[in-house]
Amino acid sequence: MFNSKRPRHQLSKAIEGDLRLSDLKPGEKGRIQEIGGSEQFRQRLIEMGLTRDAEICVDKYAPLRDPLELIIRGYHLSLRGMDAQKISVERIS
Amino acid sequence: MSFNIAIAGNPNCGKTTIFNGLTGARQHVGNWPGVTVERKSGHYSFADQRFDVIDLPGTYSLSAFSAEETIARQYLLDEGPDVVVNIIDASNMERNLFLTTQLIESGRPLVIVLNMMDMALEKGLEIDSETLSTLLGAPVVPVIGRTGEGLDLLREKILRVATEISQKSRPIDIIYPRDIEAEIQKINTLLEKSPLAERQVRWTSVKLLESDEETHHAVRAVDGGKEILDQTNDSIARIERLFKDTGRAVISHARYGFIQGAIRECVVENLSDAVDSSRQIDRILTNRWLGLPIFGFFMWLMFKITYDIGSIPMAWIDSVLVALMNFVSGVLPESMIASLLVDGVIGGVGAIAVFLPNIFLLFFIIAMLEDTGYMARVAFIMDRVMHNIGLHGKAFIPMIMGFGCNVPAIMGTRILESRRDRILTVLINPFMSCSARLPVYVLVAGAFFPENAATVIFSMYVLGVVAAIASGKLFSKTILKGMSKPFVLELPPYQRPTFRSLSLHTWERGYIFIQKMGTVILVGSIIIWVLGYFPTEVTLDRDYNAERANVSTQYAQELQDLTLKYEASIATDSSTYYSEMLSYRASSGYHMLNTQYLDIKAKLNASEQAEIFSLKQQEIGDITEQKWIGQVGKIFEPIVRPLGFSWRESVALITGFVAKEIVVSTYGVLFGVGENVDEGSHGVISGLRSSGMTPLVALSFLVFTLLYTPCLATVAAIKRETGTWAYTLFSIGYSLGLAYTLAFCVTYFGGMFNWLS
Repeated sequence: MFNSKRPRHQLSKAIEGDLRLSDLKPGEKGRIQEIGGSEQFRQRLIEMGLTRDAEICVDKYAPLRDPLELIIRGYHLSLRGMDAQKISVERIS
Repeated sequence: MSFNIAIAGNPNCGKTTIFNGLTGARQHVGNWPGVTVERKSGHYSFADQRFDVIDLPGTYSLSAFSAEETIARQYLLDEGPDVVVNIIDASNMERNLFLTTQLIESGRPLVIVLNMMDMALEKGLEIDSETLSTLLGAPVVPVIGRTGEGLDLLREKILRVATEISQKSRPIDIIYPRDIEAEIQKINTLLEKSPLAERQVRWTSVKLLESDEETHHAVRAVDGGKEILDQTNDSIARIERLFKDTGRAVISHARYGFIQGAIRECVVENLSDAVDSSRQIDRILTNRWLGLPIFGFFMWLMFKITYDIGSIPMAWIDSVLVALMNFVSGVLPESMIASLLVDGVIGGVGAIAVFLPNIFLLFFIIAMLEDTGYMARVAFIMDRVMHNIGLHGKAFIPMIMGFGCNVPAIMGTRILESRRDRILTVLINPFMSCSARLPVYVLVAGAFFPENAATVIFSMYVLGVVAAIASGKLFSKTILKGMSKPFVLELPPYQRPTFRSLSLHTWERGYIFIQKMGTVILVGSIIIWVLGYFPTEVTLDRDYNAERANVSTQYAQELQDLTLKYEASIATDSSTYYSEMLSYRASSGYHMLNTQYLDIKAKLNASEQAEIFSLKQQEIGDITEQKWIGQVGKIFEPIVRPLGFSWRESVALITGFVAKEIVVSTYGVLFGVGENVDEGSHGVISGLRSSGMTPLVALSFLVFTLLYTPCLATVAAIKRETGTWAYTLFSIGYSLGLAYTLAFCVTYFGGMFNWLS
């Protein structure tokens, strides 16, 4: 069978209680740990440079509080809060 | 000899600018077969060779998750272009090079373009393109697409790579960590023995490890495929065990590792010189407090420019059309052909042609929003709102544009990347009350709600928005469920647009509209004309000429009587008439009596005119009733009867299918005030009032007009953008159903409570 149809690898799931990208305040930086969500979503983000250990910065929130603007690998990217919640990070000061 | 060139790159990397720079205006815009992804092709000549260029859809990867990626990938692998030109945004190399690593693996001869060198410099980046070229195993050409600097060198490199194909220059391999390489080797060995050996073996192996479905399918179909897939599964399991992540993620991670290594060797960052001007601009434009008001202002400005400036050439086109109509009717004798040309062709197509300036202006502004990079910010600012209906923030633009005209708005859904979003936006767009519906509101609301016309009209707009939102929610929970894509939006750096690129974009989209006018709308107008023209001979139950003559005689008699009385009253004091007038005469004398007489005479004249006019209206109504169009109206009358509509409304709504503003001119015809009626026309207003329509039915009619099937041009646009008749027919059926239901509710419940009767 296809690997894509198998349940995703256990270890790639973000663990409960982790710090999420959506928990960071504007101006704060983090290092990406795990990305949850659908395989397509995960792969899209990884392809756009949100790989494990990559540095990511929350630049600001949109006027209506959602989505967020992020800076990753030198460019600006926007994700919704609910999607940012699927990304666990380690804060860097 | 001619060569096939494919241009590949990320979205927002300036791909289209380079494409335009290479091919000039010699390009063709169409769709990729089966999908509504734009397919741009063009050609140029260099050193006596012809180069056919195709602009592949902008993608971040070749992983075949989206329609765009699938197209780009199939083209690269199956069509085998002679040269792939990979455009890279030099100011954002890291992510842009991700696609490059895949292009290198695909094995096509590659030329890499470092575009936007000026912006990279501004960001303080110094790039050693020689080193980069060695590292990537392909020529690297620095270019500034906006000014065209470096394009000649690019043409030369393309030529060289294209003609060197036979020499089989060995491209480099992206080297993965040792444990992955070991697995790749295992699969390679099996592949080389299989019928797939002639394809790019390494590409296939890597794609297998990435769990790429298409590659799995292809491998399974060949002899020995089972063995290869078994090995693949073993390898993936091993990689997952070693790296604690999916094979896909591990390989992507490794690609970024390779890229970071390359960048370390060939890019020097002078952070002290760096100016992120886009970030500075965004401090204001997407500011938490200023972002929304500024966006609102831009939207207002967009409308203002589109409709105010657009109304100037609109008047010119109108006068040209009138002149043309007069000319044709002057040259041709009164005949069927003349009527067909004047009323059918010129009148029908002309009714739409006057919108051309609006549409071109709107497209120009949209091109500006896109080319500057503000469009991405619109999505950023409005996503919270649109997300409620299950849509992407960008969908806000076509929705707003719908207030102007649904046709460009529906065509504007092309800015949305996902097909599901495009279809959903297309389906709810017609409920945004377009400007063509306004004359109908003004006319009917003016006739039945003179006190509250503005409120009634405004509620129509609100009802339209509510219908759009409710339908959007409904669709995204039913027919378009689960096809939604996650919101991953790049906010590209702001750029100064070039006039050339703006005009090209405007023309590309505007041309589609012109094409439509020449086809669908022309045919529709002719059909309506035929229905209104035949049968040429009608028999009327009443002799209107006699009735009119009768009315004239009656009034002439009354007038004569009046005059006699007046003269008598002046002559003899004993006249009864005089005694009635005595008080007047006492106060202001003879002069007053004269005024009184003239006054009554004028009133008699006016009421004579009115009666004749009313007869004329009835006559034309009777004639229309017997024309095919009236018969069609009669056929549909039983259907609209529960709504309180008569055959007149039935006819008006049917003709409104061609264009909603035609509802007004249809009423003009039905009430015999001629076709050149405007919404303030008293003839139509009095006609409507005397037709037996109640204010409640009028309201119901307005609701129906707002919601029912968009005009012919919109239907054509829906067909074009959804690409299927299924969605087109669904849209027609749904909007008709909704219009009928709501109009019925108005008539029925209003009638129950005796509102507005």
